[in-house]
Amino acid sequence: MGETMGRKILLVEDDSETALYLSRGLAEEGHSVEHVSDAREGLYLASDMGFDLIILDRMVPGMDGLSMLRALRAAGVDTPVLVLSALATVGDRIEGLEAGSDDYLVKPFSFAELLARANALLRRADGKAAAPDLRLVVGDLEIEPLARTVKRAGKQIELKPREYRLLEYFARNAGRVVTRTMLLEQVWEYHFDPGTNVIDVHVSRLRRKIEDGFDQPILHTVRGAGYRLAAAG
Amino acid sequence: MRTRFPTTFRIAALAVLLALSSNLALVGFLYVRTRDQDQAVRERILEEARALAAVAPDSALDKAVRDTLATGDSQLVAERFDRDGRPLAGNVGQLLPPVAMAAGPVLQISRLRLTDEPAPSECGYVVRSLGADGWLLSGRELGERYALQRTIERSLLLALVLSLGLGVGCGLLIARDVGKRVSALAEGVDQVAEVSGGALDRRLPLTGAGDSFDRLAERINRMLDRIERLMNELRLLTDSLAHDLRSPVGRLRARIERAMNTADDGQRDVLLGGVLQETDTLMRIIATVLEIGRSEAGGGREQFAWLDPRALVDELGEMFEPLAEEAGITLEVLGSGHGAMQLFGHEQLLAQAVSNLVDNAMKHAAAGGAMQLFAQRDGETVRLGVADRGPGIAPADREAARRRFGRLDASRSVAGAGLGLTLVEAIAHLHGGVLELDDNWPGLRAQLHLPLRQGSIATAGRAA
Repeated sequence: MGETMGRKILLVEDDSETALYLSRGLAEEGHSVEHVSDAREGLYLASDMGFDLIILDRMVPGMDGLSMLRALRAAGVDTPVLVLSALATVGDRIEGLEAGSDDYLVKPFSFAELLARANALLRRADGKAAAPDLRLVVGDLEIEPLARTVKRAGKQIELKPREYRLLEYFARNAGRVVTRTMLLEQVWEYHFDPGTNVIDVHVSRLRRKIEDGFDQPILHTVRGAGYRLAAAG
Repeated sequence: MRTRFPTTFRIAALAVLLALSSNLALVGFLYVRTRDQDQAVRERILEEARALAAVAPDSALDKAVRDTLATGDSQLVAERFDRDGRPLAGNVGQLLPPVAMAAGPVLQISRLRLTDEPAPSECGYVVRSLGADGWLLSGRELGERYALQRTIERSLLLALVLSLGLGVGCGLLIARDVGKRVSALAEGVDQVAEVSGGALDRRLPLTGAGDSFDRLAERINRMLDRIERLMNELRLLTDSLAHDLRSPVGRLRARIERAMNTADDGQRDVLLGGVLQETDTLMRIIATVLEIGRSEAGGGREQFAWLDPRALVDELGEMFEPLAEEAGITLEVLGSGHGAMQLFGHEQLLAQAVSNLVDNAMKHAAAGGAMQLFAQRDGETVRLGVADRGPGIAPADREAARRRFGRLDASRSVAGAGLGLTLVEAIAHLHGGVLELDDNWPGLRAQLHLPLRQGSIATAGRAA
């Protein structure tokens, strides 16, 4: 995860325990975290301090989190924003995304989930994510986004459209943990909890297609967090 | 502007004014008309007097007087007097009063004794001096006209009194009626609003007259409907949170306690893993309860958009197909109906509702081996849902299945909080539709029956 090391993150969160827990966790990952508990202060800092990522609690004193976000976007600040919220209904999530946030995470969440999403946003902000048309290569796996074809060790693999989208998403986040809810939101565009292991079944199908008949595993399960597509080693 | 008089008083005053003005207008018209006629009589008397005056004061005059009286006009009065005022020829049976002689040739009104009447009667007349030949009196008896005039004047007074009485009566009646209606409304509102024991299910009575009071009552009733629904939601929400979260929180607490008391690190890790799991379950229950509350209260309509229900069902079918295959179920997607089908709704919530139905079918009807996902148009409505070949739900149990935390298997052999169908029903209500649980002969056919455009389907399946 070297590419997302040591970034500046602004944390706007009024609950001191959550803030401490997040600051410590993110610092352990090598990021420097600036914490404020007031939205006005957050808005002030976010406007000119050049952060790489803003983690914003939706309900903070001083100002409604979403209002702060709208103000930020209106001021032309396009720093990626990850909204944290205790408001968990589907409508709340959509409202949060529509207000200009790049991702929306419902409290309580696991730290692994937050970290995976934060890393995905940091990578995207770097412009390090591959251009949409460019060939994606992970180990001996090759993906051609234009032709929508997949090869492993030179051998063509037939995938159904959804399996292809799943694999492409993994490939664009290669080397990093991708959680089940991230897959549900990004690949299926569903913002509710289907309540079953439906994602796992899709992933294991995909895994069979890209691993059966090859020596090395490439799609790994990360216990308690999700999955990771990475070349062996 | 504030007024010092209460509305009822003002209404009564208005009624009095109305009665008074209509009565006075009528009687006043009559009064004015009779006054006009009175004027005409005066002119006629003067005219007739001039005619007689033109006749030479000799025997021809006496004849003219007699001729005039002989015309049969019973109101005519004519007399020739001598210089001392003694009557010579005509129908006046008394001396000419000296006052009348002095007045000159103008119209006078006084009582005269006439030869053919027992009592003196009111007459209007002109007295003209004939020099040495005496006096000539000509005129008309006014008795009847005067009586009429007096009658009209009395009517005017009567009308005044009557309309005052009528107006006051009417006003009081209207005021009482209005007051009664208003206090009926107020009483109804009081019954609802009473701080302790106010009955939220009370509604204001409608008279069926369709007047503004009924319209007001209807609006208040609609407002009460909404308040009652919101209150019920809130009560259900707090009830379920207070009561039904007891057991998961209890389990959580027990696990934490056990983890704290165990000396073995490995076992503590296992217990803590369980704690994490219980927390997630708890959060899921809370999220679902909130989602139900939000949907039932009509939240999320601002995120409605046009969507194709068949595409929605297709995508869900594709999502659940691998899961179904693993469970040994053949999942079939039926999208029927011709032409474009567009539904105005919340895509995410509808997808969640159908996915809940699929989830239910997977849990309870896997043995059936087959499952159908469908979106079928029926006129201006659409039915979308899941049909399975499992054991189904007996008609008697269907209400219980919809209930919050309602679970049909008392043993709780299958995991779940019992909120799935309640949420589906709430989402159906949000779209103005209903959740239908029908027999699939065999199996269960669980479907959302929704109007394509905004509107609502009669909530037949919704028992209180």
